[in-house]
Amino acid sequence: MRRLLALALGTAALLTACTSTQDTKTETDNAPRPGTLRVLASSELSDMTPVFDQVRKDTGITIRPTYMGTLDAVDLLAKGKVDGQYDALWLSSNDYLRLRPDAAKKVVSETSIMSSPVAIGVKTATVTALGWQPDKVTWSQIEQAVQDGRLTYGMTDPARSNSGFSTLISVASALSGAQSALTDADVTKATPRLKEFFKGQKLTSGSSGWLAEAYQRRGNVDALLNYESVLKGIPGLTVIRPSDGVVTADYPLTSLASTDTTTRDNVRRVTTDLRTAALQKLITTRTHRRPVVTSVPPASGLDTSRRRELPFPGSRSVADGLLESYENKLRRPSRTVYVLDTSGSMAGDRLSRLKKALTALTGDFRQREEVTLMPFGSGVKSVRTHVVSPGDPQAGLDAIRADTKALGADGNTAIYTSLEKAYEHLGSGGDTFTSIVLMTDGENTTGAKAKEFDGFYGQLPAAQREIPVFPILFGDSDKAELQHIADLTGGRLFDAQKGSLDGAFEEIRGYQ
Amino acid sequence: MLGSASTLPLVRRIAGIVLAVLLIGGVVAAVVAGRDNGDKGTATKTVRGVIGSEKADFFADPDVVKALAAKGFTVKTETSGSWAMEGRDLKGYDFAFPSSQAPADALAAKYKVRQPLPRPFYSPLVVVAHRSAAQVLADNGLATLDKSQDRGTLKMGAYLDAAKADRTWQQLKGADKHGELTGTLYIATTDPETSNSGALYLAAASYVANGGRVAASSADVARTAPLMHKLISVQGAQQSSSDGPFRDFISGAGNPLVLVYESQVASLLLEKQPVGDLVVLYPDTTANSDHTVVPLTPEGRALGELLSSEPTLRKLAVRHGFRPQGDTAEFVAATAAHSSYLNQTLTGVRQAPVPTSTVLHDMARRARG
Repeated sequence: MRRLLALALGTAALLTACTSTQDTKTETDNAPRPGTLRVLASSELSDMTPVFDQVRKDTGITIRPTYMGTLDAVDLLAKGKVDGQYDALWLSSNDYLRLRPDAAKKVVSETSIMSSPVAIGVKTATVTALGWQPDKVTWSQIEQAVQDGRLTYGMTDPARSNSGFSTLISVASALSGAQSALTDADVTKATPRLKEFFKGQKLTSGSSGWLAEAYQRRGNVDALLNYESVLKGIPGLTVIRPSDGVVTADYPLTSLASTDTTTRDNVRRVTTDLRTAALQKLITTRTHRRPVVTSVPPASGLDTSRRRELPFPGSRSVADGLLESYENKLRRPSRTVYVLDTSGSMAGDRLSRLKKALTALTGDFRQREEVTLMPFGSGVKSVRTHVVSPGDPQAGLDAIRADTKALGADGNTAIYTSLEKAYEHLGSGGDTFTSIVLMTDGENTTGAKAKEFDGFYGQLPAAQREIPVFPILFGDSDKAELQHIADLTGGRLFDAQKGSLDGAFEEIRGYQ
Repeated sequence: MLGSASTLPLVRRIAGIVLAVLLIGGVVAAVVAGRDNGDKGTATKTVRGVIGSEKADFFADPDVVKALAAKGFTVKTETSGSWAMEGRDLKGYDFAFPSSQAPADALAAKYKVRQPLPRPFYSPLVVVAHRSAAQVLADNGLATLDKSQDRGTLKMGAYLDAAKADRTWQQLKGADKHGELTGTLYIATTDPETSNSGALYLAAASYVANGGRVAASSADVARTAPLMHKLISVQGAQQSSSDGPFRDFISGAGNPLVLVYESQVASLLLEKQPVGDLVVLYPDTTANSDHTVVPLTPEGRALGELLSSEPTLRKLAVRHGFRPQGDTAEFVAATAAHSSYLNQTLTGVRQAPVPTSTVLHDMARRARG
């Protein structure tokens, strides 16, 4: 019993770690409380806070969300790790869930609350330049604009984000020319076209929030692919639902077989409340999602002309195959430098945790990915680059593991000097997603100072300034210092002090 | 005014066709009120039942609770998928109330329950479409529209031929005027392996495909399997409750043609909810959802008979969109204002017999597989 509990708490801690520091709504204490529903939810639902407040006023029930990507949530459910930890599930869609019988059997009922289609938000100037009529644009036109080099875009990582996954399905269904649900053959046939299409992807992100920030900071990306509700919240975008079809999220609030009568009754009461005209109106006004009751019209600005609904694949092999294809073949590969603090203070437990986390991460590297390990102390100790080649992925992964094993702790902490070396190593990014991960357990003690690094960064060519640093807060590192690095370079800070180092490395994958 | 009425249909369908029996929160706990006639000795009997989820709102309706209490019943319900009831141990329950006759007959055989079983109400399967899609179907000989243009008849034979030929909307004349009408022509249904309406769709389609004979043998199943597989596989992922696709339809997303229960549409109309340009297409051959009581105790049988015969309860069933058995007058009267949408007397609608539970399971498995 005690072991079970420990395992459960471990899971809760991991979940906390997996959520970003900025939109975290979780509490480390995941214990059940009367009148509170612990809901495992899609991260876009963080915009629902005003609605949750109203639900509390109406029903006395508090919704306590933990945000997670669909695929991770479904995996957790299938493995039984949701049992006893959460009272309900609220993903953007249960389509993927239903493809996994081990997860589907854990669900007792689901009720759609609102909907939002996948769309493309294009800079208004670009729409004009392309001569597009927003209500008539097709996926093929978008593809053509990408091929002509007239359109670049950003989207979230399909392996970690609901919106990214739905986007991938939309694009694949539309460009494959499939007239009904995608099959493996459709995906194979569409691969060359998809590869061309994804050459236009210049931004990737583990979350919709950071995608919007990075888009605004970059200024040179023309469009974003995401849910209509997300795009409507970003100023300056013309939101286009391609006329040849979209995948729509319908946000089913889902009750679980593992819960008791009281909990299910609370889910039912919340569901009933969410479907009242008043809340449907609040939802569409505040979040730009579409109501599912006939008495409430969609908020102004949501175009009501109809679109074909592209079917979601009917088998797991198609869905997973498409995802694998995206990761390993279709998307631009990533190039990453891991700037790893192996100063004296890392000796012992910290170093072994780093080694464990890095080794675990090798299971997640994609084909064609270039990984550079740059351990540092008083300066950079070594620069070792490995490529996970499609011909022999194991060789590259084994080499990364061997280098990880050989890491030793000594010396001072030259954060900025090492970062400068990382930028120099990467040069201009080429046709890749390029980024730097900085893991340190302390403050900068030697080498270049923060000010000097700011100057160094400011003088980099524009293309190199687009390379973000993703610092990880660990051990005794200084949050303000690392936050500054993230802000300066357009990266994002990840917290491994509250959560685990494994969790932080894992979450950063969505941004690489 | 409309706003306050809007909660009812929502409550009704919260629970999907479920994969496991669940204790429904909305347990019907009638206040044991003293009866007006002063019959002091009569306490209410508590009867427990497992019901199909689409009836949860009916039993949770305060007026239903009151009407049952007036006749001495407190009814406690748990919902379950109709097809999941067979796998349940129903010891301790007074009745089961699946949404279809086939699982009811299987349960009756298992528990040696005397036939006939009370069947208080039913609802035919219909297809909802927007005006544009309905018009294109009509212009291409796949449907006919009534004068009202709010309802029509779907020609199942022609539809199945189109499905067999992988017909797309683009191939239908007039579809090019409507951007959303592209891709393979199909009716979106729920998963036939877990959901009653999806299974009944196969019952109706296989009946037509089998030359107007109900599939009774594995040879019949084998003969119709390729077409049934096509009808299901083109849809990709399917929902597990008929509420989901209907909500998608209402929110403007989803497929142009969606299979729902007539009761879902009727209850929306009866609540005076706006339905936009919705058109109700009655398949010329359809299957009914026969809500059938399987009494497991004498009290269960008494309840089943009460639901079938008691005028107030029959009237309340109509409020929830169901058709009481035996007499169409109540349904016709209550839906008079909505006759442009509803084929009140089901004129020209043939009712396909539903295969046995075993045959239907087999059919669903092969259609999904």
